[in-house]
Amino acid sequence: MTVAKSLLRHRALLVILTSRELKARYRGSMLGYLWSLVNPVLMLLVYTFVFSTIFQPRDASVDPYGLFLVTGLFPWIWIQTSWMEGAASLLANAGLIRKATFPTELLPVVPVLANLVHFLFALPVIALAFVVAAQLGYDVGGWTFILLPVIILLQLPLIAGLAVATAALQVHFKDVKDILANILQIGFFMTPILYKLDTLKGIPPVHALVAANPMTPYMLAYQESVFYGRVPKIELWIAMIAISGVTWWLSATLYERLRDTLVEAA
Amino acid sequence: MKVDTDDWGDQPTIEVETLFKSYRRTAAGHKLRTLKSALLDRSLIQGLSAEESIPALQDISFTVGRGEAVGLIGSNGSGKSTLLKIVAGILRPTSGTVAVNGRLAALIELGAGFHPEISGRENIFINGAVLGLSRRQIAERFDDIVAFSGLADFIDEPVKHYSSGMYVRLGFSVAIHTDPDVLLVDEVLAVGDEAFAHKCLRRIEEMLARGKTLLLVSHSLKQIEDVCDRAIWLDKGRLRLSGHPRRVADAYRQAVAEEESREHREAKEQREHGDASDPDEATSGEPTPDETDETSAEVQPTTDPVDEEDDVLRWGSGAARIEHVRLLVDGEENYHVTSGSEVTFELTVRAFESFDDFVFGVGIKTPREIEVWGTNTDLAGFEPERLEPGEITVRLTCPRLRLGPGEYVIDVAVHARDGAPYDYRRRLLAFSVTAASDSVGLYVPEHDWRFSSGVSWQRTPSKD
Repeated sequence: MTVAKSLLRHRALLVILTSRELKARYRGSMLGYLWSLVNPVLMLLVYTFVFSTIFQPRDASVDPYGLFLVTGLFPWIWIQTSWMEGAASLLANAGLIRKATFPTELLPVVPVLANLVHFLFALPVIALAFVVAAQLGYDVGGWTFILLPVIILLQLPLIAGLAVATAALQVHFKDVKDILANILQIGFFMTPILYKLDTLKGIPPVHALVAANPMTPYMLAYQESVFYGRVPKIELWIAMIAISGVTWWLSATLYERLRDTLVEAA
Repeated sequence: MKVDTDDWGDQPTIEVETLFKSYRRTAAGHKLRTLKSALLDRSLIQGLSAEESIPALQDISFTVGRGEAVGLIGSNGSGKSTLLKIVAGILRPTSGTVAVNGRLAALIELGAGFHPEISGRENIFINGAVLGLSRRQIAERFDDIVAFSGLADFIDEPVKHYSSGMYVRLGFSVAIHTDPDVLLVDEVLAVGDEAFAHKCLRRIEEMLARGKTLLLVSHSLKQIEDVCDRAIWLDKGRLRLSGHPRRVADAYRQAVAEEESREHREAKEQREHGDASDPDEATSGEPTPDETDETSAEVQPTTDPVDEEDDVLRWGSGAARIEHVRLLVDGEENYHVTSGSEVTFELTVRAFESFDDFVFGVGIKTPREIEVWGTNTDLAGFEPERLEPGEITVRLTCPRLRLGPGEYVIDVAVHARDGAPYDYRRRLLAFSVTAASDSVGLYVPEHDWRFSSGVSWQRTPSKD
């Protein structure tokens, strides 16, 4: 059975496991789900303060800078935590998959979905911040905010694919974990989150490198639709579909090849 | 492997055919080397295919029919658990096929997938979903699950506050309520308290009675003899013997005993001769009587592992043999017994060497294998000192054998005190019992009716 088919067939179990993940995270904490709202509010305030009072951004077109940053930062946090947790998921659940008949391919996808829920919790806060900014006279945001779920949906196969493939590799090669941590650290700076891609035009080799990063089109699309209030260009949509499709296909193929030996190696 | 319950007719429930399984070697440094070489060769996939593999199961074929209970026995590392996990669909075979018809429940690690932070109630739903139940099905069975586990008072507590026994109880309870057609059980009855283990065993027997199928791994040979219709002995990944549980268990006991005495002997040789003396010297000299006993098992031919019809009735090392058994009723050879007569079982045994570890046993069963009575010299407190080579006679007399009317068969055995058989003979002879017609059942105690005044009868002579 292909990975996609298995996910579809076990979608009820996938939902249950995801809610287990979320419940377990907030169990025993007083504020529970409220924490996932506190965190984005806090980050929004801190970044706005730091980059409007302490550092002055060089590019006037990214004003207010705090909002620009948050536009890219929340998707990135989703990517980073999903990928890390997804990659570790098979080993973390070794006790389960070695002892129960279980569709293993669900496990890397669970943290991707759980972290997506967190991301979605932050969206009202971000939307509210843009409304407030617009009221204060900044030329940011717009109706295109509603394109955000579409972009998220397009990015989902990319992140799920990466999690699935890396999880299978990490079972066989323990050093994948460290390689991934470093890739993510460099990736944060090689993706236009802290800066606009156009800022790099003056340094062509770096610009080419960042533009070639598969994460960049998604980031640009988030910034276009959320921060600038523009519909992303057709090239971005094509790039996103192609990258997600190819990544998912390659990842699922790799996983299916490695699946037979996963349980005993975990 | 999850198939809906349906009418599968007479198809076997579990079919395993020419199954091979090998594990990839995971020597120290191997993983790093593989990753490096895999990257250098740009052959990640090939790099993961087994270059060095350890065979875990070799050429295993067997089938388990509907309603059958089969036990897997073998020492640690013999491949029992690997086989069970392949049948469960957890591990995949290297080659060969495994087919399971019907819904399967694998009780391998109970409560695998329980989340410690979450309440027992919510874990029931999650665990049920992992085992393939829908939310509605779990909701319907929820009360039964909680009742069976006996954890009603703790069901809203996070599972991390449970003891390991409670954990197992909840896990077993969920698994058993998935209404499986095929149960795979791996040692889980060894954990938890005795009372709950009994409850589980009763539940399993209940399911067997309803035509469910069982594949059981247990270190308790007794349990396998009690529960199973058939046993399969795995030895170093190969199927060594399959057949009647008592017979397979005895063959296994015998092999373990041989192995132990061999190790004991080797250790002794090492002590006596230092580390590396001439190996011939150890065996060529006049053996002390002590050594004769310990080597005895090895000199004798072991039983042929092939499962022939005749072998089902007789097995053992053959170091001593039961030549003949007679039934004496009131001192005369007779196989028609009136209940309450004096009956003597007379065993003629030939020993081919001298023994200092021996037990004689006799068991009476019905033709349908219900154990009526059994005893042996060990249970009776006889400490074996010496059994000389040659022919000897053993007599067991019951002054008043009060069996119920019907047919009986007897099993006789001579074996070591740990159970390793020298000669075990099933259904060696049959006899019939007649009894006064006022009784039914297997046992006729002395009995007498008395009545107070106010009850009156018209007595007819008992119909004989």
